[in-house]
Amino acid sequence: MEVQQGGAPAPAAELVVSLREFTLSDADAEAFMSWASDPRVVRFQRRDAYEHVDQARRYIADHVLPHPWYRAICAGAGAPLPVVGSISVKPGPAEDGRLFRASVGYRVAHAHWGRGVATRAVRAAAEAVFAAWPWLLRLEAVADVENPASQRVLEKAGFVREGVLRKYILLKGRPRDMVMFSIVVDADTDRRRQQNKPDGP
Amino acid sequence: MEATATPRTQEEVKAGTAKVTVGEVTLRKFELSDVDAMMAWASDPEVAAFCRWEPYESTKPLLAFLRDTVLPHPWFRAICVSGAVVGAVSVSPTSERCRRELGYVLARAHWGKGVATAAVRRALRDVFADLEPEGLRRVEALVDVGNPASQRVVEKAGFRREGVLRRHYWHKGRARDMVMYSLLSDDPLPE
Repeated sequence: MEVQQGGAPAPAAELVVSLREFTLSDADAEAFMSWASDPRVVRFQRRDAYEHVDQARRYIADHVLPHPWYRAICAGAGAPLPVVGSISVKPGPAEDGRLFRASVGYRVAHAHWGRGVATRAVRAAAEAVFAAWPWLLRLEAVADVENPASQRVLEKAGFVREGVLRKYILLKGRPRDMVMFSIVVDADTDRRRQQNKPDGP
Repeated sequence: MEATATPRTQEEVKAGTAKVTVGEVTLRKFELSDVDAMMAWASDPEVAAFCRWEPYESTKPLLAFLRDTVLPHPWFRAICVSGAVVGAVSVSPTSERCRRELGYVLARAHWGKGVATAAVRRALRDVFADLEPEGLRRVEALVDVGNPASQRVVEKAGFRREGVLRRHYWHKGRARDMVMYSLLSDDPLPE
């Protein structure tokens, strides 16, 4: 038996993750329910768990489709790849009418946790919005202090941890401490200041 | 002007220099007749340097600001020393009901005497008394990384430093790095 010397773990089987826009199809609404109805996933979201697929249908029509940047996370095997989560990037808030910041949020169905889906989706979304929005100087994300899995996703996706902001956001009526992360464009070099982390789930 | 300012103390406070005691610094609501006193700092380029606004050249736009922004504002107070208006302190709503943002500005003649620190301490006591019933739990202050004097003001007022938010704030044509500070409703207020 080989003895691991330490260093990089054995590479995981290649995981395909892609992003696409949502549609008004029944299939997308049902896929949406796989995370939106799960208390384990919505625990760190503002919204309560959905109970009926009509709620998902309405949310996709009223909120997702008009959103500046909202994508379905597709991962796994098969063609087309199944929808296992969602990721969205919200521009702003603007200051003095000026857009230069945006914030990213994501959710993945519980069955697909722990395999690097979220990390790949966040990396892909960051690449996409920095390319699509030349005005973007700062992409930020917050993770609840009691959500270390999400903090690890952001670190592996190249975000820099900036600090814990106490009682920063109301989650289901209670003020929560949140860890703030960001990727920024360097003021001097125009290159992105993010951390270098080895690849891996 | 928004009271997002940050005085730069030019000189160290020497040992034995009399500091303004907390008792002499009071807060009250603004009135339109305060516009002339406001011009003392609103027209000062050194004060304006770390603020979003350019120095005012006449009282007319300042009066408009007083009437349209200050008077209807949910929490905006004049800083008074022995009854004279020398600055302003505000606590402004954010996108979250549990947190608001501190801003303050002080005429340069009153820098380096502890006035800003005393005014901020008083403001925090008053704003939590007024707004904690409405859900306020956090007052935050964002201070430019290049403004150590203002960082000292909020630190002495009891704020806790949480980290640097990079390129977080748009200021006069550039996205600046800001130090984030917070004081919670159940943090001790130093006295």
